Amino acid sequence: MLSRTIKRSALEGRWLSAPSSVLPPVFLFPQRARLFNSTSSIVDENTVPEPLKRSGISTSDAKNTVPHTQKDGATSASSSPPLPTPTSHNPSVPTTPIADSVRELLPLLSAQTSHYATVHIHARPYLITAGDTLRLPFLMKGVQPGDVLRLNRATNIGSRDYTLQGAPYIDERLFECRARVVGTESEPLRIKEKTKRRQRRVKTVKSKHRFTILKISDLNVKTVEEIEG
Amino acid sequence: MPVQGLRAVSTARNGVGAFILQCKRLDFHYCDWAGSSRGMNAFLKNTLPAFARANPQVEINVSPRPRKHPVIKGTYINGREKAVCVRNLEKEQILKKAELLRDASGEQLKRVTKPISSTNESVRGIWSPYHGDSHTL
Repeated sequence: MLSRTIKRSALEGRWLSAPSSVLPPVFLFPQRARLFNSTSSIVDENTVPEPLKRSGISTSDAKNTVPHTQKDGATSASSSPPLPTPTSHNPSVPTTPIADSVRELLPLLSAQTSHYATVHIHARPYLITAGDTLRLPFLMKGVQPGDVLRLNRATNIGSRDYTLQGAPYIDERLFECRARVVGTESEPLRIKEKTKRRQRRVKTVKSKHRFTILKISDLNVKTVEEIEG
Repeated sequence: MPVQGLRAVSTARNGVGAFILQCKRLDFHYCDWAGSSRGMNAFLKNTLPAFARANPQVEINVSPRPRKHPVIKGTYINGREKAVCVRNLEKEQILKKAELLRDASGEQLKRVTKPISSTNESVRGIWSPYHGDSHTL
């Protein structure tokens, strides 16, 4: 898949000057993969719950960015590729100042390296760390593999020694949690036999649910300077 | 000290940095003569160009399979293959099936009860009675 991506890019004249054995810089791969994927949305994004989508590229944006990156492909290889602009607005920016206790203790929490968080999707809690695979118990509408969701509802964020507890939710400025839609999965067909007494008839009910798979790509706690700066 | 095997340097976590779609190829098989391919032939004529254009990361092959029902086969990065028979389906239903194959991971279907699978170490560690604050009765 990767090699084909490179080959196709080379055919487009992206790396014509480079010899074919030399691979392009590694940081280009996610960008390319993301752009390829984002063009494929046939579905409209209006069906995604507003707070969930934060940094995924919309179809219209993707169409704008694709020719741009292909045009200056040779030059952008040396500088870092521009990050895609988020489509939706910053969900709801609370104007209330950060509480003093949080301001005091947040550096301690963010100083410790690995974090966990209890994020809520449709009011269900999931305890996640970065890199986890999350199989939602439902099929999320309006998303495509490759889309990035910003999860902004969390009740807990913790590290080895500290826990930040929300009431009920943590201020969404304090952390960043992103999940990438990896695909949809299904379960084996379930067959349930329905019978009534003194009746020979047996009704079989079949069900086969489909689930959206998310990969937690980012989970970090921000520092006070990042929030206010 | 026990003998230790070589530890893996890194494990693949698709989607954490780069994201690669698991479906790498879709084969569409049709029959010119048989009636069960009618929807498939309409799909190939009308819908497939847009579908292929929208999914440039998937290789798409169209080939005849005479005197057989129409089939879509997906080939995945993990080496597995999924085939869906689309006999007598309309072209909209066939598009659904093609999208299903595109979004699938290629793994065998399993019943999963826990929503989260993680390879990370426990963040807070394992509780030990000998560490932490001493507790007096």
